[in-house]
Amino acid sequence: MLKMVNVCKTYNGQEYALYNVNLHIKPKEFVFLVGPSGAGKSTFIKLLFKEINPESGDIFVNGININELEHDDIPDLRRLLGIVFQDYRLLPDRTVYENVAFAMRVIEAPSSIIRRRVMHVLDLVGLREKANSKTTELSGGEQQRVAIARAVVNDPKILIADEPTGNLDPETKWDIMRIFQQINDSGATIIMATHDEDIVNNLNKRVIGIDRGRVVRDQKRGGYDYQY
Amino acid sequence: MIINTDFIRRIKWRNFVYFAQETFKSLKRNGFMTVASISTVTVSVLILGSFLLLFINSNHIASHLENSVQISVYMKNDTREDQINIIGSEIAALPGVTEIKTVSKEEAMERFKKRLGENAGILDALEDNPLPYSFDVHVDTPERITEIIPKIQGMRHVETARYGKEVVEQLFQFTKVLRYGGILLICLMALGTLFIIVNTIRLTVFARRREISIMKYVGATDWFIRWPFMLEGITIGVLGAVLSAVLLQIGYGAVITKIQSALAFLPIMGKWPLMIWLWLLLLFIGGGIGALGSYISLRKFLQV
Repeated sequence: MLKMVNVCKTYNGQEYALYNVNLHIKPKEFVFLVGPSGAGKSTFIKLLFKEINPESGDIFVNGININELEHDDIPDLRRLLGIVFQDYRLLPDRTVYENVAFAMRVIEAPSSIIRRRVMHVLDLVGLREKANSKTTELSGGEQQRVAIARAVVNDPKILIADEPTGNLDPETKWDIMRIFQQINDSGATIIMATHDEDIVNNLNKRVIGIDRGRVVRDQKRGGYDYQY
Repeated sequence: MIINTDFIRRIKWRNFVYFAQETFKSLKRNGFMTVASISTVTVSVLILGSFLLLFINSNHIASHLENSVQISVYMKNDTREDQINIIGSEIAALPGVTEIKTVSKEEAMERFKKRLGENAGILDALEDNPLPYSFDVHVDTPERITEIIPKIQGMRHVETARYGKEVVEQLFQFTKVLRYGGILLICLMALGTLFIIVNTIRLTVFARRREISIMKYVGATDWFIRWPFMLEGITIGVLGAVLSAVLLQIGYGAVITKIQSALAFLPIMGKWPLMIWLWLLLLFIGGGIGALGSYISLRKFLQV
């Protein structure tokens, strides 16, 4: 589903943000990306979305070498991916329903399927009842659930989450993790960058450790315990 | 730059309704900025349009005078009709003369009345016609004039032979200055207008940068993101152009009335169909600058 071959990325031409990264993530895998701040996790995510391009190496998403994509083809790549940010990035002047429907509307989905599909994902994240609430009226956990609903509404092959539980209290964060597990069970590959030791240790998933731009470990069923 | 025709495919009706809604919402949300930029565009396009009218008219007057490079030959008042006919054929025989027209005293009076227009009434005070017989002499090239004039001057019964050399030359000089100055000014105005629209749309883009970034992340195409902003810029440009065209139409009407009463001999261009062309041109310029401005504002945001 995702393959990186000898990927290097520098920002100023000197220091490596990512150095010689080789990865292979299979379909339906659930992977934690761990490492200290500034280790290169954000760079990793930006590369996947082709917001930035690597200096060298190849990145394959769903079998496509994304280095070879033209600018006009980038939307097609991004429609394979869904993203959840730590700070949710919702549109505050709109309702829960509108926030989720927005993601479908802007890729020109027919109106007839938008309503059905949005209500379906709101069910999945348990927010059907709040469809008409403004997102500013919601709690942090609820806002993150809206963000997840928006990320999965277009049925992405890979769901990428950048510290999705970073701002949430422990109880809420397990709610969120249950939702990710459900999404994973329904067939999406999940890549989650996180600092949350508790989550990584308890879920027993594949863990990829990144430090100073290098992949320092890749364990099939790992814990968070890195000491650097 | 290769012209991307993708956007034509993108203007589906369903999308268009969405774009129009977004545009309207955005114009409303930035109410003050919208009004401010429409007014600035109005002023710029107004200046641009005024210059255009001045330029078109001065060009019109100059070429009108150039085409009528003709020598007016006035006869002495006591010349008899048979003498006039002889002189007429003598002038016609001169090399370079292409056309000669006899203007009787009555015709001269008619012309004069016409020029005076509404004020022709003052001529009623005259007891008899003081205007002399004259000839309108056309020559093949303007250069011929200087060699022909002395010949005519030397003929019997000729009071004077004149042509509007200085007027024509000055007018051409003026038109030339107006042409280059006008083009320069029009370019500056267009740039100024562009700058205003770029900034207004940039504010909108900035206010909606989160929306744009989400659109990019979920895989919206560039043109889908661009259209609402383009429509916003076009709307501002076109509204500004409409306002200035209305003002220009009213203003030009007033100027025509004034000139016709004070400087009746000036061959100023009529209101129609000139105004139709002016409207079309200004709308095109306003809309075009609006679209270009939005395109420029968004360029940076769409690169990611």
